[in-house]
Amino acid sequence: MLNLETFKILQNYFQQLPIELKFVWVLSFILTVFAIIFTFYLKILRNSLRKKEALTIKYQKEYEDLLLSFLFEEIENNELSNKQNQFIKTIENEINNNFKRKIIVETLLKLKNEVSGEIETAIQDIYLKSNLKEHAYKQLKSKKWDKVANGIKEFTKFKVKEAYPEIKKLIKYPKKEVRKEVELYLVSLFHFEGLEFLNDLKISLSEWDQIELLEELQKLDNQEIPDITVWLNSKNESVVSFSLKLAKIYNKYETVETLLKLLNHKNQKIRLQVIDVLTHLQVFDAKDILKNSFKKRSQEEKIAIFKMFENICEPSDEDFIVENTTNSNFEIQYLAIKMLKEINEKAFNYLLKNQNKFYNKELLKFVQNN
Amino acid sequence: MKETKNIVLAEDNTTLSQLLKFRLQKEGYNAFIAQDGKQAISLIEQHKPNLILTDIMMPFISGLEVISHVRNKLKSETPIIVFSAAGQEEMVLKAFNLGATDFMSKPFSPNELIIRIKRILT
Amino acid sequence: MNTTTLNTIIQIIHYLFFSYAFLAIFSYVVLSIISAFETVDYFKKNSFVNYKKILSSNIAPSISIIAPAYNESLNIVENVRSLLSNHYANYDVIIVNDGSKDNSLELLIKAYDLVKTNYLINPQLKTQPLRKGVFKSTNPAFEKLIVVDKENGGKADALNMGLNISNSKYVACIDVDCLLLEDALQKMVKPFLEITDKKVVATGGVIRIANNSIIKEGKLMEVNLPNKLIERAQILEYLRSFLLGRMAWSRLNGLLVISGAFGMFHKKIAIEIGGYDTSTVGEDMEIIVRMRRHLEEQKVNYKVAYIPDPLCWTEAPDNYKIFVSQRNRWTRGTIEVLRKHRKLAFNPNYRNLGILSYPYWLIFERLAPVVEVIGIIYFGILLALREVKWDYALAFFILAYLFTTLLSLGAIYSEELTYHQYKKKGTGFKLILISLLEPFVLHPFVLYAAVRGNLDYFFNKKKKWGEMTRKGMGNINK
Repeated sequence: MLNLETFKILQNYFQQLPIELKFVWVLSFILTVFAIIFTFYLKILRNSLRKKEALTIKYQKEYEDLLLSFLFEEIENNELSNKQNQFIKTIENEINNNFKRKIIVETLLKLKNEVSGEIETAIQDIYLKSNLKEHAYKQLKSKKWDKVANGIKEFTKFKVKEAYPEIKKLIKYPKKEVRKEVELYLVSLFHFEGLEFLNDLKISLSEWDQIELLEELQKLDNQEIPDITVWLNSKNESVVSFSLKLAKIYNKYETVETLLKLLNHKNQKIRLQVIDVLTHLQVFDAKDILKNSFKKRSQEEKIAIFKMFENICEPSDEDFIVENTTNSNFEIQYLAIKMLKEINEKAFNYLLKNQNKFYNKELLKFVQNN
Repeated sequence: MKETKNIVLAEDNTTLSQLLKFRLQKEGYNAFIAQDGKQAISLIEQHKPNLILTDIMMPFISGLEVISHVRNKLKSETPIIVFSAAGQEEMVLKAFNLGATDFMSKPFSPNELIIRIKRILT
Repeated sequence: MNTTTLNTIIQIIHYLFFSYAFLAIFSYVVLSIISAFETVDYFKKNSFVNYKKILSSNIAPSISIIAPAYNESLNIVENVRSLLSNHYANYDVIIVNDGSKDNSLELLIKAYDLVKTNYLINPQLKTQPLRKGVFKSTNPAFEKLIVVDKENGGKADALNMGLNISNSKYVACIDVDCLLLEDALQKMVKPFLEITDKKVVATGGVIRIANNSIIKEGKLMEVNLPNKLIERAQILEYLRSFLLGRMAWSRLNGLLVISGAFGMFHKKIAIEIGGYDTSTVGEDMEIIVRMRRHLEEQKVNYKVAYIPDPLCWTEAPDNYKIFVSQRNRWTRGTIEVLRKHRKLAFNPNYRNLGILSYPYWLIFERLAPVVEVIGIIYFGILLALREVKWDYALAFFILAYLFTTLLSLGAIYSEELTYHQYKKKGTGFKLILISLLEPFVLHPFVLYAAVRGNLDYFFNKKKKWGEMTRKGMGNINK
């Protein structure tokens, strides 16, 4: 038979090959097998992904329609409960399927995030009355950190206060993503009280985390904004940075004394941030301190200080300003000349007439014309 | 006979836009939904609505451009209510500078929206 | 010279070739594995990140998008509109019209109600001077736009002007025809904000090929596989390089290049090191290498990060002539950068940069085409002398082919498990087909372009950027 013949020829050929070539052919064979497996697996993978997507879209529409039709009945006390219960019963079985549950939660949130008032409360009730939160509790106990984080996130989004004891236990979880979710939960539900963890936080709070926390806090106005002095004096620099942001956003004028002390903090980034807060709060008291320590500060701080003076410069600062109209840094020079024109036009015109080599002529012309 | 008022709504969150559409229809208005700024403008030109509701953050043609188009190109005085995500005060200011009538920041109460709409349309 | 010495020399040459091939293969395997871990890691960490919060936050840092433009009048208005519709709150768009000979500026002025403004430019970096000036819009809806018209100076020069003009903390340097997804800015800025133990100085994004995909109103509506083999082969190449290569280098903190089509930098550091180098054609790689070198010398604990999300879609060459021209330029760029910074080679003072990244780039990226071509010539000589050991030749060619194919399949597999951008039926089969064909339809041209690049570098100093005729992405319809 042709096949047997060919096979024998190939076998003989193989046997007489040197060892390294035998090795190469074996390797080739293994790679070919892998390639074939890959190819088949790819087809299966793509099919399943495609099906999953089609299903997702189908369910999304289904649940969206279901939710909307239930929210749209007349809002009379009894009626609403009935409709809710119907909705819950309808999805009760579906909840046990992970895939469907995820879509249901997403659909609920898609609407809940955009609206407030009765409809939001109705959605919240649906969540609390159904078994959805049981699944979230289960996730908290999972061994996989991303499931834990997801569970916490769900509780945050649905404002489930009763989950607090369980979540509090996770505050020192080894993965920082989980800790971040715990912090967001605390701040979301308990606002400024939830920030207690800042008191003994040892690890760094990243900028991203800080922004997320601040955005949560800003969602509600009219709050009891606590005293942040303790945090401003924290040994944890990220906590200091965070409280400086709080000072700026909530206009905490009462912290000015602490802020002035922080102008001598050992970390330049903090010092820059303090100058920025003082600029925002327009603290005149800071001027003398900064003028006196100006020469010792870094280039970046000097530029920041000048930006601060831009809004609060007074004739008493004239000497300081004139001194810096010859500063080698472009930005400082520009601001100095600009301020001089504002507080003492005569002195500025004098500068214009005496444009010796020190002055950047372009700058002078620009300030003159604007 | 009372004329049915037309409202164009530009919002890319389908659940929200459906909800608002039902609500508006219940109150007796005709609601037309657009998913982005370009669609919004074509619906506005087509239906000449009595009121425009638009989200600010939309792909390609933003809500701000919609306002600018309605006020400056179409020279129309149609009342415009904008939705904004929380914290976008700058955007809201720009919207008012361009001629927006009112704004509601998200999350907002649909009931309150209806109250404002009724106030504007009477 | 007697035969034994000749034979020994030939043996040594063979061993050198084989060791090179073996090391190359080994390195690809290692990089692929590290990439896989890094991508899965990234996925897990970011699957539930809420990017929406950052985009509307006014505490989020300021970003400037800098897009140089030269003779882009065909699509410039649409491209700018697309850039202006990004969902980030705190950013602006700086279009640098680099001495275009067409009517790009006039089109922009008309479309966006631009007027000339008095703008004070801090001349931190030396650039070609302004031509018509700096323009801003009178319409508040386009407040984010700044258009700068200057004398021609090349892409690097235009980017430097953008750096001078920007007042933001971070800059995103992009190609003006690059389609940025709505959440691109916050995804790219995230590493800068979330890594606390190192200072992130630059982030790079994946470039996806948009040929044949449907883009309407600056939004990516449908992702399609392009029709031409050359385009498909490039997709495969990009997938391999990004998903199996750069992710690994990011993890090893050894990334030497961030694509010029889309990269984000810490502005102050970019200016501190002197901005882009206008004398090289590989300015995107050069600035990263110089940045790293500077930070290593300053002993700063830094990182160059990489985002695998598809955030930027751009047009790839669809014919061989332009393709070869592009690769020629990339080759010359690599050679220029490696020569300029040869002090780094194997230098332990530069840690990973000197001991790992530079040597790898030199040996396996810059020299690979050279070694391959020498191998081909050598094979040709053997063929002429009828000295070819066909057993060996056959076995190794087949092994090499299988290996490259498997690597490509690995890249496809990686892509399916993560972003799954090509959803249509039949695309899977087409991708596998191109994996089998790529060594024949693309690789020879890559080699040819590399050879030309080497020759041009050493013997033809006058060559610079070459042409890239715009087809216009907005006009590609199904």
